Amino acid sequence: MDSTVSETGRAVPVWAAYKTDAGVFDEMLDLSSQPRTGCEAVIDTLFSMPPAQFAEICASADRMFRRMGVTFNVYGAADGSERIFPFDPIPRVIDAATWGTLEAGLIQRVRALNAFVADVYGDGCILSDGVVPRDLLLGCPQFRRAAVGIKPPLGNFVTVAGIDLVRGADGRFYVLEDNVRTPSGVSYVIENRVVMMRLVPTLMRASRVRSVERYPADLLQCLKEMSPSGKSNPTIALLTPGPFNSAFFEHVFLSQQMGIELVEGVDLVCVDRKLYMKDVHGLRQIDVLYRRIDDDFLDPLVFRPDSLLGVAGLTAVLRAGNAAIANGVGTGVADDKAVYAYTPAMIRYYLAEEPILPIVETYLLRDPEVREQVLKNLERYVVKPTGASGGYGVVIGPKAGEKELAETRERIINDPSAFIAQPVIALSVHPTIIHNGSESGMKLSPRHIDFRPFVLLGAKPRVLAGGLTRVALREGSLIVNSSQGGGSKDTWVLEA
Amino acid sequence: MLRRIASHLFWTARNLERAEWRARLLDVNYHLLIESPPRDAQPWAPLLAIFGERELFAESYTTADDASILNFFALDTDNPNSIRSCINTARNNAISLRHYISSELWLDLNTLYLNAQEWTPELFISPGVFAFFADLKDSFYRLSGIRQSTIPRDIAYDFMQLGIMLERTEDVSRMLDVKYHFLLPRLEDVGGSLDILQWAAVLRSASGLEAYRKRFGNSIRIDNVVEILLFDPTFPRSARFALAMLATSLNRIKGQAPEPSPPSTQLEELLVLMNSKRSLEVIKSGLHQFLIQIQDGCAALGDEVFQRYLKVD
Repeated sequence: MDSTVSETGRAVPVWAAYKTDAGVFDEMLDLSSQPRTGCEAVIDTLFSMPPAQFAEICASADRMFRRMGVTFNVYGAADGSERIFPFDPIPRVIDAATWGTLEAGLIQRVRALNAFVADVYGDGCILSDGVVPRDLLLGCPQFRRAAVGIKPPLGNFVTVAGIDLVRGADGRFYVLEDNVRTPSGVSYVIENRVVMMRLVPTLMRASRVRSVERYPADLLQCLKEMSPSGKSNPTIALLTPGPFNSAFFEHVFLSQQMGIELVEGVDLVCVDRKLYMKDVHGLRQIDVLYRRIDDDFLDPLVFRPDSLLGVAGLTAVLRAGNAAIANGVGTGVADDKAVYAYTPAMIRYYLAEEPILPIVETYLLRDPEVREQVLKNLERYVVKPTGASGGYGVVIGPKAGEKELAETRERIINDPSAFIAQPVIALSVHPTIIHNGSESGMKLSPRHIDFRPFVLLGAKPRVLAGGLTRVALREGSLIVNSSQGGGSKDTWVLEA
Repeated sequence: MLRRIASHLFWTARNLERAEWRARLLDVNYHLLIESPPRDAQPWAPLLAIFGERELFAESYTTADDASILNFFALDTDNPNSIRSCINTARNNAISLRHYISSELWLDLNTLYLNAQEWTPELFISPGVFAFFADLKDSFYRLSGIRQSTIPRDIAYDFMQLGIMLERTEDVSRMLDVKYHFLLPRLEDVGGSLDILQWAAVLRSASGLEAYRKRFGNSIRIDNVVEILLFDPTFPRSARFALAMLATSLNRIKGQAPEPSPPSTQLEELLVLMNSKRSLEVIKSGLHQFLIQIQDGCAALGDEVFQRYLKVD
């Protein structure tokens, strides 16, 4: 209630009690509490609103999401409803100049990652030249021997990349990790925008926000460009693990938006090194498969023999060049946490350019000296398993207890190559609406955020002008994952 | 259209239709027993017989009393054809259909599914058997209405139609057969007041009593009941009507094939069978035999549809 009615009885904005801790980068306000570039209109409009109107915006955002959430997510869970990814209606704004640098850095990075995967499964130059240690690469859990020798159309292994960025206390964007296997979340970007356009149409128009709705068309175009036979009208399908997968709603969404068939493993069959789907009127050949299942499940002849999600013989089809797949088999080597340490070297090696986006300082614990240094002060570091993704197995030193630290230490000593360590990054914060239970009881508080932009690689790179901003809704929390109290915001990239 | 999707559409629709007929059959039989107390010690035996489920029933139940029968046919998930099982199967097939059916249809089906998980035998005591089935029938009407008014008339609709109409043809013939079994007619009863009562109940359970009266007036005769339920081309729950709808959908599906395919021999045979007989003849030469022929024809046609369009491996 503190921020809704002043002593004189006049309504004051929710903005009133907002304060950011020192030493943390605030995305909307600079050190003298002035709006940062691009944020002026949002602050003027949203936070000068009468509290009642502001509350109404929050309430209608809630309503819209519940309605859309019901429509999309009712099935799956035992009770017939799945959780809705919480949405914060204060947008995250990125001005045109900042975006220009980000975009160039993202394209540079994804081109290098793609070149790396193609090289690793091709001639292996970067290994022969000693830029990336061969034993480190062969030890990657995501290295796929079966991908050696596959030459995808356009040389593209990485068609879709989701690059996780964080902003440090210095205000710079750092690459936290790369996701080049089956990155998800783009449907939230598009859905969030649909809701925001209804909530604050005037503000959006005045702010000149760049559109995100082209993404499915761009993805479709990239997939078409990968058609192996150069067909002008290739048949494309999206391979999903099925309705019980947590990202199924995204698979349905994207297949509908692109107007392509949504298939499961049981729909597919390989005959004479060609890939087909089983249509009621017979077999229909597939030219490009956008797969949203992991390598392990893709082809039971080559990977897990017990998998029912994929299709036997797919690897042979790819090898024969009779179909293309996005993303390619074995791309996980490029988002391995140990390989990550070599990404700046990769950019220099393949592109002869200096990296535009910095990475977080990374200690490879396979090196005995480095390991000794890190183990001395384990409580100061973030420890990550090299082959995992999605935040699994990450230990944050300063937040870990004695027991967890001791266990981590033991695991590192037992298998040093399986871990890396990084300094703790003070993630930037963003004004976020926090409800405190009562009716008009909401206030603005700083909450930590990260950012996942999406990069597409076809005949040329295409970057979605926006991305998924995730926010840790619990006070002080650095964990933005939806399973642990995370939410999302719309991300506004402004026109130049 | 993918075979898997066609199959999900077919089985979603077919199971809903099956659940609805089960509910109708159970309802009418239950109420027949009230109106005309059985002379037989095993009043439910005919119902178990026509579904071929006597053995399955005997596995879990010792006596065929009302409570056991209601439980077996409505609630028991060990019985794959109980009303609840059919609803579960329909809904589980529909999970993969979110982009082929309307969100309204999904939501309503999912609601019915969620409700069905809560069903307990106490419902037959309070609110009671009548209210339970009346409610259930409303749910099926609503689903049918949503389907009719929200699904585009494309190949997805046609595969649902196949499932519905095949099930309907089979079930309406079963319903007539119940009557045949129910009262192995003692000569003195034919045409008697009890007999009339039972035929009226059969008509009512197919929602056909009013259609009957409009066409044939108040007096109920067996041949006319058979005429309405098997041969009437305008009554939506008659076998002939269902087969005509089925033929339309099957031909539309066939017409979309990139290469011409031979006509459905099983459908032809069923249509020939239906067109060769009139109701009086059927009764004279043996109603039960004729109904069995229809049911066998439906099974063969279902198998043909499966092999041609739905089978995935």
